[in-house]
Amino acid sequence: MPGLPPARVVGLALGCYPRRWRRRHGTEAAELAALLIRDGVPARSIACSYLCGAARERLTRPPGRWLAAAAAAVLVAAGSLGVPLGLLSASAPASAASAAHAHPASPGARPSCAGQTGPQALPTLNRRPPTRLWAAAGWPGYLHPADGHGEHC
Amino acid sequence: MMPSGKRGQDDPGGQDVLRRAGDASVLILTSLADGPKHGYALIQDINGFAGLQLGPGTLYGALDRLERLDLVEALPTDDRRHPYQITAAGAAALRAHLDSLERVSAIGRLRLRLAGI
Repeated sequence: MPGLPPARVVGLALGCYPRRWRRRHGTEAAELAALLIRDGVPARSIACSYLCGAARERLTRPPGRWLAAAAAAVLVAAGSLGVPLGLLSASAPASAASAAHAHPASPGARPSCAGQTGPQALPTLNRRPPTRLWAAAGWPGYLHPADGHGEHC
Repeated sequence: MMPSGKRGQDDPGGQDVLRRAGDASVLILTSLADGPKHGYALIQDINGFAGLQLGPGTLYGALDRLERLDLVEALPTDDRRHPYQITAAGAAALRAHLDSLERVSAIGRLRLRLAGI
């Protein structure tokens, strides 16, 4: 960047920092760079120092933020691909069916529809399917069993 | 009373929180030991006593790290420049680190003398 004025070079390097950092130190860092340039320090070496600092700042951010961002991205991607409809609506009958198979002598169990007899056969289990939570949250692509969709029997 | 556990008894640097903080952090704390300074004054002072020109990116990175560790704090100011001052924990950490360096220095000098180098 030989043609750029020193302040512009430093400004470009400072622009590589995260916004949070720029709000906190940006003005002060630009002023410090101006003072160092006035003392004869090359603008290019100041810009290099800020570029290295920006890389460090971005690489050593607290993991909670980017983990949460990554988790949110995965959820959004899964939602847009229709994964919840396939996975979540299948999970409740499947678990109830497997639990009913573990209690074959249960008097209220109907052989043709064991998964849906969970309420009588397994009073200690949480009988509300988790998919209701997704429906209450307005999860896209979900069809609620109470509306007549998702019933297997 | 000596602290219990491996770090306190077997590891002479166990109390030294600055051991992994980097040289810039030690230089900054040493510079702040005689009073609050802003970034430019820190660079000038460190250049004066250590002969090192600390890069501004390194300076702010170390200041952020020290602030997260509660070893320095930014003072409120109306000016655009924030002065930083060393905290009590920062002074204790610097003292522990300098003690550790003194032990290493003494052992190094002794071994050099014994070896006749």
